[in-house]
Amino acid sequence: MIFSHPRTWSLSVKLPLTITAVVVGVAITVGMAIVVQERDRIRENLEEKALVIARGVAGVAYEAVLRSDYWGLYKSLQSMTAPTDPSDNSTSILGGMVLDTEGRVLAHLNPEANPVGMPLLGANPEQRKWLREVLEVNAPHIHISRNEKGGYVESIVPVQSEGSVVGVVVLHLSTQEIFTRTLAAAGIIFAIAIALAIIGSMLGAYISRRMIRPLNALASGMDTVGRGDFTRIIPVKPRDKDEIGQLVESFNRMTGELAGKKQLEQQLAMNEKLAALGRIAAGVAHEVNNPLGGMLNCLDILKKKPGDETLIERYLPLLERGLNRIQAIVQGLLVELRTDQADSFGDGGCVEDVKELIAAEIGDRPIQLLWSNQIDSSTCVSCGHLQQVAHNLLRNAVQAVGDKGTVAFRTQVSGGKLLIEVEDNGAGIPEEVLAHLFDPFFTTKSSGTGLGLWITYRLVSRMNGEIEVESEPGKGSLFRVKVPSKSVVLPALSGAA
Amino acid sequence: MTGLITRRRALALLGASMFAHPLRAAEEERPVRFGLTAVVVRENLQFFERWRHYLEQRIGRPVRFVQRRSYREIMGLLQTGEIDFAWICGYPYVQKREPEFLELMAVPVFMGEPLYSSYIIVHRDNPATSLSDLKGKVFAYSDPDSNSGYLVPRFLLASTGALPDNFYRLTFFTYNHAETVEAIANRVADGGAVDSYVWEFMAKTRPAVTERTKIILRSQKFGFPPLVTRSAADQELKRRMQAAILGMKEDIDGRSLLAELALDSFSPATPVLFDGIRAVAQRMSEGGKP
Repeated sequence: MIFSHPRTWSLSVKLPLTITAVVVGVAITVGMAIVVQERDRIRENLEEKALVIARGVAGVAYEAVLRSDYWGLYKSLQSMTAPTDPSDNSTSILGGMVLDTEGRVLAHLNPEANPVGMPLLGANPEQRKWLREVLEVNAPHIHISRNEKGGYVESIVPVQSEGSVVGVVVLHLSTQEIFTRTLAAAGIIFAIAIALAIIGSMLGAYISRRMIRPLNALASGMDTVGRGDFTRIIPVKPRDKDEIGQLVESFNRMTGELAGKKQLEQQLAMNEKLAALGRIAAGVAHEVNNPLGGMLNCLDILKKKPGDETLIERYLPLLERGLNRIQAIVQGLLVELRTDQADSFGDGGCVEDVKELIAAEIGDRPIQLLWSNQIDSSTCVSCGHLQQVAHNLLRNAVQAVGDKGTVAFRTQVSGGKLLIEVEDNGAGIPEEVLAHLFDPFFTTKSSGTGLGLWITYRLVSRMNGEIEVESEPGKGSLFRVKVPSKSVVLPALSGAA
Repeated sequence: MTGLITRRRALALLGASMFAHPLRAAEEERPVRFGLTAVVVRENLQFFERWRHYLEQRIGRPVRFVQRRSYREIMGLLQTGEIDFAWICGYPYVQKREPEFLELMAVPVFMGEPLYSSYIIVHRDNPATSLSDLKGKVFAYSDPDSNSGYLVPRFLLASTGALPDNFYRLTFFTYNHAETVEAIANRVADGGAVDSYVWEFMAKTRPAVTERTKIILRSQKFGFPPLVTRSAADQELKRRMQAAILGMKEDIDGRSLLAELALDSFSPATPVLFDGIRAVAQRMSEGGKP
């Protein structure tokens, strides 16, 4: 998960992460602003503190300086700079002193190094320059400086009364306080930010769970629909009236409608099946009934005149013809049953057998048979089915050209498919006939059973193939059969059934 | 309600006292004022509160301790009669007053005798071993009227032949012996003169401060700062106060208070005890030449 691309992350991860990031971002931005403001405030406080202390010392210093009360001056300086809290040893006061106008020490927080009455010596020119500047200050002055020990606030307040300046108070306060107090404030602010982030991520997790649960249910529902299974769709419960809720409701409505449609389709298919069955039954009844009527008439006549030899001679062939016809019908119907039996498999040479039969059918009529069998001997084909399909189509073609014409038979294997084409330049098939061409018992021939093309169609379907016909009245017809080579190669086509 | 009762009771009390001993009673209610100077360590307010209660019980009058920054202010209060009693230094005591308005009441007994001395102290790390080593340095006096903290150190310096006014780079007054010790301990001053009693007292109560100092010179002994009374004060009051002070060593409470002061007792004194100070003051007024 961690190493995968963010685009592949689950929404249940991305949403809480986004919310957390936003909350943290806002909290940190606001926090930084507050910290910066707080730091300025603390700095101002520190400057004010430095100024107030220096002014306080300067206030009592005037009298003390005039009376040479160095001890009193030192005590004032010390007590005013002493930390308010004795346990607070942060020593924010780095230094403090009262100087006279000549730069001599009147009081110093570090009396050992800076004896009273002695000039405050600066060892280097920089310090002497600083002292000159300090002595020139004639109004309370404050600024922030920095030396090798760190930053400090320097406040300089002249000791004066009614315009006469007798000295100057200088105070140095460490800016460390700004840093430590800002750090403390930042600590609190960032703790709040983290708390907000935790709350935000929890909220994000809750919200995303709420949002994603119906989405997941939708996804699995769509998966089920995609597999075509309408029976196991569990309606998704919409939780809110938001966009997701609307989506869920639409999905529920859609699956409901799909399920209804599917049921309707199944009913229609069943109805059609029953209707087809009824048509076949009616066709069988009709086709069998026709010769039966004639045959029963013959039998009636023969029963009335049993001794009449001429009648027997006359009617027996009729009876035979009728029975033959019935047998042809029944055999045609039995093709269905036969296809369920194991078919024999062989190489493409078996199709050649059909050539003999058709040649016999043509007899001495001037019909040209163009024969091109490209199925090589290595291809295994379902012999019985293919022979029957080829024979049926060729016989129809021969009948279509009548006494004179051309019939072409072409086979080839390409792209995993076995292609068989039978073409003639006969009368062609009228458009209204084309629509019923493969219906059972549909025939335009007086002696036909109407089962030939129906059986062909059934056989091709058995082999998972397809059959198409192109025809133009007066110019001829082309029947094209495509059978997957898989079905011809695998011997287990119907053996497994 | 409360105000009413209080007022009524106050009126009743007033009436009763007026009819009984009108003037006497009013006098009895007036607090006795007792001046304190830097000769004792005055920072322990609780101690003085207990001592005040002790004295109130013994003399039967309210007592108030009065403190001022300098000896001179307390002397002024004695002169004008604002206070009747005071614990002052021997130097102001021996100064000429015309007419004399003070009487000796008692003198503390410190380490077995009513005497003390002046210590010249420097910081522990200061290499100075004598007053002469402090030439050009900063010196802390306690009070311009102090014997041990001003008169004696100037006398000691004058004895070496130096002129006290030019000898040091700077001098200042702390108006408090304890603060003189602090000034030396903090190195604000290089040297200073301090009452031996105060230094010893601090060595027990605040050793952290005295340990940062060292004594380089101890003066001769002088009469201990005395307790005085205004001559014009009520005789009966003076008698009762003196009895209470001198009697402190006789009872447990008094002894406990004396122990806190690090004193043995209070004893009667005669002006002769301060002849030593008188002599030094005389010498210094004549120029201090040896």
